[in-house]
Amino acid sequence: MAKSLMIVDDSATMRKIIMRTVRMSGLEFDRTEEAGNGKEALEKLQASPVDIVLCDINMPEMSGTEMVKEARKIDCCQATKIIMVSTESAEELINSVMADGANGYITKPFTPEKFQEKLAPFMN
Amino acid sequence: MLEQLTLQDTVLDAAREVFETMIFMDIETSSDACPSITGESLLGSITFKGDLEGCLAVCVSQSCADRIAKNMLGMEADESLTIEEACDAIGEVANMVMGSIKSRLQPLYPTLEVSIPSVITGRELKNTLGERAVKTIVCAWLDGQEAAEFSFLYRKSASQKTQ
Repeated sequence: MAKSLMIVDDSATMRKIIMRTVRMSGLEFDRTEEAGNGKEALEKLQASPVDIVLCDINMPEMSGTEMVKEARKIDCCQATKIIMVSTESAEELINSVMADGANGYITKPFTPEKFQEKLAPFMN
Repeated sequence: MLEQLTLQDTVLDAAREVFETMIFMDIETSSDACPSITGESLLGSITFKGDLEGCLAVCVSQSCADRIAKNMLGMEADESLTIEEACDAIGEVANMVMGSIKSRLQPLYPTLEVSIPSVITGRELKNTLGERAVKTIVCAWLDGQEAAEFSFLYRKSASQKTQ
């Protein structure tokens, strides 16, 4: 089944790296979107929802943690799987964002294998 | 106070994890004095506050920054790269190295809030934090060819000093 993906990160370079790593993991998406912060991501999701969001935490305007909370209040984002991708690795933070509605967590630096492991369960 | 030797290892291990996993470059410390980074260079830095306050910086030459960015983006050596892309890449390197240091320091200093990285370009760039800062510098060679300097500057925050 065709899947769509959105990458949310304030660094354009990191968005490209994530896209490249997703491709290297062997996962395929028929549509990909990008956003530079949580606010932009929510606007794009409301206009055109996606299946999976890969979202940074530490971003200007609206952080990834705020974005998860807001997304879970919006009807069109209820089924969207949100995987956080961040340098932050504190267990307390990970538990908190998962409790707020994130579906997974990947720490930077990451590998294609890590993306495969975390995203594959949501590809069917 | 953090032992300098331990902190040097922490910074080096963090840098090595990032460079080997995401940038596909070997990183080795310099046994001699720090190799000088001459000419146009980039300094990516990121500040932190909480149990400790300070900043981490990564300084490399322009050519090294280009190479790092191309490796991160999977570009060929002869492909052209904008200065914005190189700056963005060095900022992300600082961000990831700091994230890795933070996770290693977590047992000792659980509360460290990290900023968004910033990058400057110029010559003879230095990372400074004013008086009473403890400074750890790790000089390294990337793939045995390019010099890189990782500087971790910190001081205990006001709340920690009173404990």
